[in-house]
Amino acid sequence: MPKSSCDDATATHPGRHQTVIEFRGVNKWFGPLHVLREVTLDVQPKEVVVVCGPSGSGKSTLIRCINGLETIKSGDLVVDGQRLGDPATDMPRLRTEIGFVFQQFNLYPHKTALQNVTLAPIHVRRTPRAEAEQAGRELLAKVGLADKVDAYPSQLSGGQQQRVAIARSLCMRPKIMLFDEPTSALDPEMISEVLDVMVAVAEEGMTMMVVTHEMGFARKVAQRVVFMDQGSIVEIGPPEEFFSDPKTDRSRAFLSKILHH
Amino acid sequence: MMIWQQLQSLVGSYPLALRGLGTTVAVSLIGLLAGSLVGFAMGMLRAGGNRPVRLVIGAWVDLIRGTPFLVQIFLIFFILPEAGIELEAFTAGVIALSNLAACFICEIVAGGIGAVPKGQVEAALASGLSRWQRMRHVVLPQAMRIILPPLVGQYVLLIKDSSVVSAIGLTDLTRVGWLVVQRVPNGLLVFGIIGLGYFIVCYPLLAIARRIERRMGAAHAEVQL
Repeated sequence: MPKSSCDDATATHPGRHQTVIEFRGVNKWFGPLHVLREVTLDVQPKEVVVVCGPSGSGKSTLIRCINGLETIKSGDLVVDGQRLGDPATDMPRLRTEIGFVFQQFNLYPHKTALQNVTLAPIHVRRTPRAEAEQAGRELLAKVGLADKVDAYPSQLSGGQQQRVAIARSLCMRPKIMLFDEPTSALDPEMISEVLDVMVAVAEEGMTMMVVTHEMGFARKVAQRVVFMDQGSIVEIGPPEEFFSDPKTDRSRAFLSKILHH
Repeated sequence: MMIWQQLQSLVGSYPLALRGLGTTVAVSLIGLLAGSLVGFAMGMLRAGGNRPVRLVIGAWVDLIRGTPFLVQIFLIFFILPEAGIELEAFTAGVIALSNLAACFICEIVAGGIGAVPKGQVEAALASGLSRWQRMRHVVLPQAMRIILPPLVGQYVLLIKDSSVVSAIGLTDLTRVGWLVVQRVPNGLLVFGIIGLGYFIVCYPLLAIARRIERRMGAAHAEVQL
C-alpha cells in the first residue's frame, strides 16, 4: 500500500478554494479489494457531475467518501474547504452541508413524511419547529407531495419515498447534494418523477454528484460525466462528447451495454 | 375435616402472606426498574460503544448469565461483608436482582439495536445527527418494536427469579410458603396459593406483552418510550 502523503498536502491551496469537492490521489481498500485507485477529481460550485461505470467500479464508494460514510486510506479529500480525516474537521457539521440520497431511500419508517423532512432541521440546525414544518411543507409541495405530508413511508410508492428523501436532504439547505443510484431501486414508471425533481434541483444551481446510469438525465443537466472502472477514473468529459465519442475501450464497452438494453 | 382446619389456619396467616407479597413486589419492582435503566445503558454501549467497553460489558453479561442466581446472591450477601461491605438482606437482594436484570436486558436491547437496518443509521448520520440524537430519534424507536416483546417476557422471568432472595432470609412470597408449611403441613395447598400469588403479579405483564405484540403487527406508529 502506498504510504499516505497527508503531511505535505495539508496546506490549503489559495487559488483553489473555489473548488467544492477535491480528490487528490485518493485510495481506499475493502480488505484486499482496491476500491478507489489514485482518484483525482475537482468539482466546482453549481456543477453537476454524473458518475457512471459498471457495478463494483467504486462509484458509490467515491461519493460515500465525500460525507464520511466511508473513510479514505490515503490521499486528500477536501470538501467545502475542510479536509476529511483531519481531527480538526467537525464531521457532523460538515454533513449538514451535504445532502445524501440513498438508493434504498432509507426514510425513517416510524415517522411521517413531514417528520422525516423536519427531524434534522429541528434537532441539528435548531430551527424552531413551526418554521421547520413550514419549510418542510413547502419542500414536500415542491417535490409534488403536498397531499402526502402526514403519510408514513410504508404508505408511499418507491418514487414518492425517494422524493420525500430528496426533500429531507434539501430541508437542511445543503451546499452539495450527493445521489447514490437514486432511481435504481424504482419501478420503471416511477423513475421520471424522481429525475424531474433532480433536474429541478440542478437547475436551481445546486452542486451535485450523481451516481446513475440515467443518460437522459446526464445529457440534460450534467456538465461532466465521470466514467469509473475497477476503482479508477477512466474518462471524464462533457456528456455529449462522452456518449457520442467515448475515448476508451472500456467506456465504449460499458456504453454499448447500457444503451442497447 | 382436616382441609377445613388447614384453610382456617391459612386465613390466619394472611398478614404474613401480604407481607411476603409486598416484599416480592418491592424487590421485583426496584430490581426491574434499576435493571432496566442500567440494562438499556449497557445495551446501547454494547451495540455502539468503543471496543474495550463492548468487551468488558460482554464479559460481565456472560459471567452473570452463566452462573446461578443463588450463587450470585450468596456472594453479595455472605462474601462481600468479608471485604468490609455489609449489606442488609433487602439491599443485597435488590442489588443482585438489578444486576441480573441489567445483564439480560442488555442483551435484548443490544440485539434490538443491532437489528435496525444499517441504512437507517447512515441516513441519520448523513443528516448530521449526533450519536445520541441518532439513538433517540432513529434507532431506539425502531429497536423498541423488536425489544419490547422479549423484554416483557424477561420481566416475568425475573419476577419469578426474585424467589431466590428467600435464601438470604428475606420474607418474600416463597419464604412465607416455607414458614406457613411448617404450621400447616399441606405443601400442595400452601405452595399452590404461593404460586397463585406470583401468577397474580405476573399475569398483567403477560397480558401487556400480548397487547404490545398485537399492536406492533398492526401499526406503523412510533412506540413511545
